Amino acid sequence: MDQTHTASESSAVHRDDVGARIGMWLFLFTELILFGGLFLLYAVYRYLHPQEFHEAAKELNVVLGAANTLILLTSSFTMVMSISYIGEGEKKKSIAALGLTIALALAFLVNKYFEWTAKFHHGLYPNSPELAARSHGDNLFYGLYYSMTGLHGLHVLVGVVLLSVVLVYIVKDKVNPDNFIVLDNSGLYWHLVDIIWIYLFPLFYLIT
Amino acid sequence: MFSGAASTIATKVDSAFLFILVICVLMLLLITFLMVFFVIKYRRDKNPIPTNIEGNFLLEVVWTVVPTILVIAMFYYGWIGYREMETIPEDAMPVKVTAQMWSWSFEYENGTRSDELVVPINQPVKLELFSRDVLHSLFVPAFRIKKDVVPGIRTTLWFTGDEEGTYDLLCTEYCGLRHSDMLSRVVVMSQDAFASWMAGKTAHEAAEPAGRQLLESQGCLGCHSLDGSRIVGPTLKGIFGRKGRVLTDGAERDVVADEDYLRRSIVKPNADVVVGYPPIMPSQEGILSDEQIDAIIEYLKTLQ
Amino acid sequence: MNDMTAAAHGSHPSGLSYLEEPGRYGGIRSWLLTTDHKRIALLYLTSVLTFYAVGIALGVLMRLELLTPGETIVKPQTYNAIFTLHGVIMIFLFVIPGVPAIFGNFFLPLLIGAKDVAFPRINLFSWYLYIAGAFFAVTSLFTGGGPPDTGWTFYAPYSIRTGTNVSLAVFAAFVLGFSSILTGLNFVTTIHRLRAPGMTWTRMPLFVWATYATAWVQVLATPIIGITLLLVILERFFGVGIFDPEKGGDPILFQHLFWIYSHPAVYIMILPGMGVITEIIPVFARRTIFGYKAIAYSSVAIAALGSLVWGHHMFVSGQSYTANVIFSFITFLVAIPSAIKVFNWVATLYKGSILIAPPFLFALSFIFLFSIGGLTGLMQGALSVNVHIHDTYFVVGHFHYVMFGGTAYAFFAGLHYWYPKMFGRMYSQRTATLACTIMFIGFNMLYFTMLVLGLQGMPRRYYDYLPQFHTGHVIATVGSWILVSGLIVMFANLLIALRKGERAAADPWGGKTLEWQVPSPPPHENFEEIPVIDRGAYDYD
Ligand SMILES: [Cu+2]
Ligand SMILES: [Cu+2]
Repeated sequence: MDQTHTASESSAVHRDDVGARIGMWLFLFTELILFGGLFLLYAVYRYLHPQEFHEAAKELNVVLGAANTLILLTSSFTMVMSISYIGEGEKKKSIAALGLTIALALAFLVNKYFEWTAKFHHGLYPNSPELAARSHGDNLFYGLYYSMTGLHGLHVLVGVVLLSVVLVYIVKDKVNPDNFIVLDNSGLYWHLVDIIWIYLFPLFYLIT
Repeated sequence: MFSGAASTIATKVDSAFLFILVICVLMLLLITFLMVFFVIKYRRDKNPIPTNIEGNFLLEVVWTVVPTILVIAMFYYGWIGYREMETIPEDAMPVKVTAQMWSWSFEYENGTRSDELVVPINQPVKLELFSRDVLHSLFVPAFRIKKDVVPGIRTTLWFTGDEEGTYDLLCTEYCGLRHSDMLSRVVVMSQDAFASWMAGKTAHEAAEPAGRQLLESQGCLGCHSLDGSRIVGPTLKGIFGRKGRVLTDGAERDVVADEDYLRRSIVKPNADVVVGYPPIMPSQEGILSDEQIDAIIEYLKTLQ
Repeated sequence: MNDMTAAAHGSHPSGLSYLEEPGRYGGIRSWLLTTDHKRIALLYLTSVLTFYAVGIALGVLMRLELLTPGETIVKPQTYNAIFTLHGVIMIFLFVIPGVPAIFGNFFLPLLIGAKDVAFPRINLFSWYLYIAGAFFAVTSLFTGGGPPDTGWTFYAPYSIRTGTNVSLAVFAAFVLGFSSILTGLNFVTTIHRLRAPGMTWTRMPLFVWATYATAWVQVLATPIIGITLLLVILERFFGVGIFDPEKGGDPILFQHLFWIYSHPAVYIMILPGMGVITEIIPVFARRTIFGYKAIAYSSVAIAALGSLVWGHHMFVSGQSYTANVIFSFITFLVAIPSAIKVFNWVATLYKGSILIAPPFLFALSFIFLFSIGGLTGLMQGALSVNVHIHDTYFVVGHFHYVMFGGTAYAFFAGLHYWYPKMFGRMYSQRTATLACTIMFIGFNMLYFTMLVLGLQGMPRRYYDYLPQFHTGHVIATVGSWILVSGLIVMFANLLIALRKGERAAADPWGGKTLEWQVPSPPPHENFEEIPVIDRGAYDYD
């Protein structure tokens, strides 16, 4: 692919969708590794405290977790819809699908808010007297739980902002059927956020 | 090596070092010599027409294979010495080492404590390392041994001193303000001398007031002197009944160091911080019992 | 390479270089809002050198404090803050961004025949992140509990206990890491997408290879330090307990995560420097590089093997015996590709036609000093020896030989090599040679003494020291004065040449790579017409 392009293609202002996609993939790599560090910590601490992790996982609300999994999976689907609609030139449908994605992302965050506040009411938050009285394993479980779901939640929030900006771009035709790499790349980001949750959910809620 | 070797392992470390050093010096000389030689021989006014040589497969193979063999030899030398360091002899005399900001404390099997590590000659000694706060590292240059002291984890170290004398013991993992003062010594003495030192120390300890023993074993004396000198915290000399200004919730006030004040300063050190000193003392709540605190306060009263 | 005779004689087709080209904005905005890779390189050059000067000043202060035992000029708390800042500034603000962000930005597109990098706006954004990171680092000195005092390694649990302003400093490092990631991502994409027609992988200049390998390490390793530093901040604010032994956290895990990034970071620091040296040697020997493929692939081998040796920083940490043995073994292996590079450089001098000029002298100094750095690295790789010299001045001496004698010297070599291209003027070569000589003497006096002090058992990060180390400290401190004098002469010479230097020709050294085919300084979009490449980078026939 490298030797084929002509001189004018190398221009600084030239649009290069393949290049943009390579850049996005590299960025997603870094995101995976960022979370990879946390998964590594989870693995080590789970190995050191299997029993406590087992017990602590039972305290998490599987229903809320499962609901959030469903929400994110659906949003990934609507994201794909939005991209395929814009490719077909269906601007309005694309906007609708993207809007739905954003709404689902917000629903995820609301859900997460309720889940966290419930835990707070039970006195289960970092540095709480309740946790201080508990074992090392419990402390680490909740430390990781808040760190990992928190960082993931932050990514969802960033996603909401990102997708909203892209939504405006579509409305203004900056993103259009001929040039929708921005939407494409945002979609990649959104799938990453989804995939990370798909790992977080079983690790914290299901493996008991 | 450079500071006298005084343990059984030291000579082995030194010979591994020497082996690597010789190879490295030869390598460096070879590279430097060739570099300088080529620059002089082929400088532009002497050799205006260069010869293009793109490479030489045989040469590439040689200077890949030879260094490979050399580094594997170095690895092996380093490894066998290390294997010995990590294999603790069965008959080693255990000593429990407690590190905290910024002092060392050594506890022998019979419970006797010391702030210097005194050991008999030719006797393997096993150190069990514990930290009260942050990372530290125990280093005795003359013995070529070192190991980090990690809070929450027990690490171990062993050596056999084979020359009588006094050797520096240093902390080599950065641990805050007075890291460079976290020094102690290792004294290697004859079996007889050690036995009488131990007897004397044990008798002395039994005679010492309980409060004094606690101050020493808890490492309080690392920051608070008994002789009036300023280390990190205020001196304990004449502390009982002393008047001074303290910072309470951000406001300065005058206090007299009575029993209540002293007790509060041990349990909640940051409630009243003496003006001019950093608020860094760890709370002893749950570490010292009420009786022990009483004993310390009784002892402080005697330091006039 | 295509014929660009007009340009090669130093005349600009449009008459304007990138320095004069007005562009979309005027005045200061033409710099602060530029997306031109060359202007961004100069933005980096100015800011990186500013922080380098601060780092040097802190280093000199430290040496001064150590001139006598006990208190010389500062209190221990200040000293601890100084060495922390010296480390943070030198590593995150000078050594890591130095060669890639400055020379990578300026010359990568030129060397592959492109008009700019793949993402020019992200490129500018990276610089702003760099400035933001630097701003946070500086702010951490004057706010909160005062300047951080943890050492640049931020080891837990001290870093989560100390009352100083660690959180902000750590956040600064996080932001700087992000900047580094974006630069790496940009370069990888640029090299894949924007090479001129005919520039195959084996026709790429070796500096591009080195930058390519580095960029991958930046992308893959930096996130690990990112998450580690984030956790330190979370720990300090919320007490999540992940590295706090009181809550079951494991401080050794912190060290693992820290070094999983920070050892590869050593290669982020040195590989581009090696690339610079590889460009310089053939030009001044006026012959092709010896063993092109060996040098190119050794960069990749270093990047790959270098990712598996982080545990050698933890031989005495309480890490398991088996892990230590494995890490020691791989550490020795990573020495081989470095040795191959050195041999190939020296072999390139054989039967050359050697021009002795400042860039070349800096390159020779680099080879000598870096060799000492590498060889002392071998000593530390050996397990039993490492136990003795770990965390002593031997380590300090070693990594200054690698990072200062290596990276910074490569940076100086590159600066003298490319200076006429970047600014269109030539500095006084005699003064530069003088500076190089002074620095060489001071450097060895300072850092070789540190190696000896370390062997004698002088621990690092010590405010005070035992009397037997006094002589060594005096020699080192005097060495630091000589070294700094040399640095001042060097930089003054370059600064003076900015205005007073003679106009430089398009190709003052007789280089064959693409940057020498365009005028000095290059025009706005580098090439009038994208060149078509039909031969290797070092074709001197
Ligand atoms: Cu220390
Ligand atoms: Cu390393």
